[in-house]
Amino acid sequence: MITILIACSIGLPWIGALLVWLIGDKREKAQHWLSILFSVAAGAAAVIMLWHTSGEAGLTLKMGGVFGDFTFIPDGLGVFLSVIATVIGSLAVIFSTSYMKGETQLGRYYAFVLFFIGAMVGLVLTSNIMLMFFFWEITALCSYALIAFHNDDPKAVKGGVKALIITSIGGVGLLLGALILYAYTGSFDIRVFIAAPSAVPAGMLAVLAFGFLIAAAAKSAQFPFQTWLPDAMEAPSPISALIHAATMVNAGVYLLARFYPAFKDVLYWREAVMIVGMLSALLAAIMALTSTDLKRVLAYSTVSQLGYMVYAVGAGGVFASQFHLFSHSIFKALLFLAAGAVIHSVGTRDMTKMGGVGKHMPFVKWVFIIGALALAGIPILNGFWSKEVVLEAGLAGGPSWIYGIMVLVAGMTALYTIRCVWLVFFGEARSDYHAHKVELAMKVALAPLALGALVSWLAVGPFSKILGKASLPQHHIKSLSIPELIHEVLKLPTLIALVAIAIGVIFWLLRSKLEGFVEGLKSFQWAADHSFGFEAVNSAVVRMTNSLAETLRNTQTGLLNWNVLGILAALIILVAAITLGA
Amino acid sequence: MNLPIPFIVLLAVLSLAGTGFYCLLFTRNLIKVVVALQLIVKGVVLAFVLAGHLVQNVSLAQTMAITVIVADTIVAVIGLALAVQIRLHTGSLDLKELSNLKR
Amino acid sequence: MWYVLISVGILACAILAISAKRLLISAIWLAVTSALVALMLFLLGAPQIAVIELSVGAGLVTVLFVFAINISGEEVMGLRSALPLPLVWTSIVLAAGLVIFFIVRSLGFVQFPDVSGGFGAGVLWQERYLDFLLQVVLILAGVLGVIGLLTHSKDAHIAEDKA
Repeated sequence: MITILIACSIGLPWIGALLVWLIGDKREKAQHWLSILFSVAAGAAAVIMLWHTSGEAGLTLKMGGVFGDFTFIPDGLGVFLSVIATVIGSLAVIFSTSYMKGETQLGRYYAFVLFFIGAMVGLVLTSNIMLMFFFWEITALCSYALIAFHNDDPKAVKGGVKALIITSIGGVGLLLGALILYAYTGSFDIRVFIAAPSAVPAGMLAVLAFGFLIAAAAKSAQFPFQTWLPDAMEAPSPISALIHAATMVNAGVYLLARFYPAFKDVLYWREAVMIVGMLSALLAAIMALTSTDLKRVLAYSTVSQLGYMVYAVGAGGVFASQFHLFSHSIFKALLFLAAGAVIHSVGTRDMTKMGGVGKHMPFVKWVFIIGALALAGIPILNGFWSKEVVLEAGLAGGPSWIYGIMVLVAGMTALYTIRCVWLVFFGEARSDYHAHKVELAMKVALAPLALGALVSWLAVGPFSKILGKASLPQHHIKSLSIPELIHEVLKLPTLIALVAIAIGVIFWLLRSKLEGFVEGLKSFQWAADHSFGFEAVNSAVVRMTNSLAETLRNTQTGLLNWNVLGILAALIILVAAITLGA
Repeated sequence: MNLPIPFIVLLAVLSLAGTGFYCLLFTRNLIKVVVALQLIVKGVVLAFVLAGHLVQNVSLAQTMAITVIVADTIVAVIGLALAVQIRLHTGSLDLKELSNLKR
Repeated sequence: MWYVLISVGILACAILAISAKRLLISAIWLAVTSALVALMLFLLGAPQIAVIELSVGAGLVTVLFVFAINISGEEVMGLRSALPLPLVWTSIVLAAGLVIFFIVRSLGFVQFPDVSGGFGAGVLWQERYLDFLLQVVLILAGVLGVIGLLTHSKDAHIAEDKA
């Protein structure tokens, strides 16, 4: 039973991708409906898997002695992430049927989206680290292809290439880790490693731990790799919702959470993780405060919230980070899809040109406000519960100065969220735009997400149970019921955080009276607009690589004989080296 | 002629590989390139089976040799198809005329 | 004794194959080389590989060569070098020197066991399963490549006719 479910949730989207591509772009309606069919079917398969989680391998493909077996394990962490990937994936596909109506080359779009969904499910369910690397790179490829979907727009292509390069550099860290793992434990299976991390000597374990941290930071757009996510906003909005908010960027957090029991004793690893999370959260929040592009604000907020999750993992609260991941996927996908609806109808991404959109699009206004309240951490919504659990875990497991900064960031989150909502939906229109109402498909996609943002925290009991002993024996996650959750959250750290959020909201409402204060912060704005120097670093790296490549181009003559001469010369050198060395 | 047999076979391998490489260094005709590649791969197959014989694991050597033969046949097929297309489109099979990478 | 004869034959046929002026003659000599290599493989105790090598090398590839040479026409070209001669000759001499050095060094250390191996299908299907998948992928890629290359010409001709 479980074998079929796993095969369905990975295989159905891939079959769908092939079929949608082969059907051809002339049959647009068929393409839309096929994609919806396959993604919803995969979602159903993943949801049914929730009742079948276990720590045993569900699907095993034997590949012979050298490469180990390709195993897939439906444990709590993997199944929960695959449910998110497929369900939010199907909602994004439903949204795309209306958002991408009339676009050319839809076959390419849907094929890559479905391919991506299958690869993401494979990534979180597999326990063979080489296969995990393989799926990791597939998601990076799909992300690049979808960001650069409008490949006649140079900004989109540039954003796509940047995302690909940065996440691939992270992938090198993962590959290095995989090879070290194989060298010291003799197998590619990560269960063997997590149960007995001492099989790898301490120095190599540190290399492994920090390599994985680099891979996770690059994939999840954490410090110092955070520059690719805002530039990836050239992608169509359903893609931003699916890949850059709910699934692919969670792969980094997933990696850290999965390997936490093995790395938690490596010297300075936990501190490094916490500092990476904190810096990302802080820098991204500052940059969100000054940005005027609606999607960029949401992108920065994604980086910031991911920083919270990474911080929680570093402090030892793996359950807290996964709970926040759950809430964040829902409300961030909601925000991106709603923003997509606004941008699609208004025609621009610049917030200074919007204003008063709420009068024309009431449905979108309300769902966006629900998402924004969840993001800011206002009580009752799921963002509040998960953020408080994260902060409590952080205070319990890490130094309190980091906790203090995270509370400050929570206040800033509230501030930029309410700024965003105000600038877009309230007030008077600041330019001449023509907004039309949303269509049914968009409403069908947005409504479940809004509902989820309101009530998903109620599922904390079963959620913590599937993450518990039965499926993740080394993580020691206790199960938590709703009354226990409420009791744990209503403590002093929560009150401090609520005060910070309230201050953030009040700052905005009193902004006209605080003009002097705002002027003083203008110097920050210049730095934030240039993303604190990271863009400059990126451009410098690109320039140096280009000039090196130009110099090396002289060796490419295009004549076969030169190449063979080169092979012969290399052979001679190699053999001579072996001879002299022996 | 009392060189042990492995050396004679080794000489055959080296002559095949050496001739193939020599041809690759000096030829300017695309189809000759495919011929040279075929020669080198024959040498490789012979070397595999010789090695398998010496460690007494001929079945493993045969498996690897099959993989190599399949790969090299595909290379020959596509190489010849490419040569035919290039001849049809540019009218020449001379490597020097075809190497037009911008410098 | 047989080994020596076959070795000398292989060397001779290979040299004839690459120095032939006409491409068809070159392909024929390649087929003869293939047959001799197959014979040697059989003597070394690998009969299945010998059969495969014979049928593929002396059969399939030769037929392909004949087709390709007929379609693309003959072009008589000698072995003129495009590279600076001194550079090439020094590297060849170095390579040959290293090879001879190796052979002379290991003379006398090698035994020649008398083994005749079966194919051992178990090896392909279990231990090297990934190799088998790789071959399937390669064959598919080859078929797709050939189809892609050969159908392109039709569209190109049609485009040329229209222009």
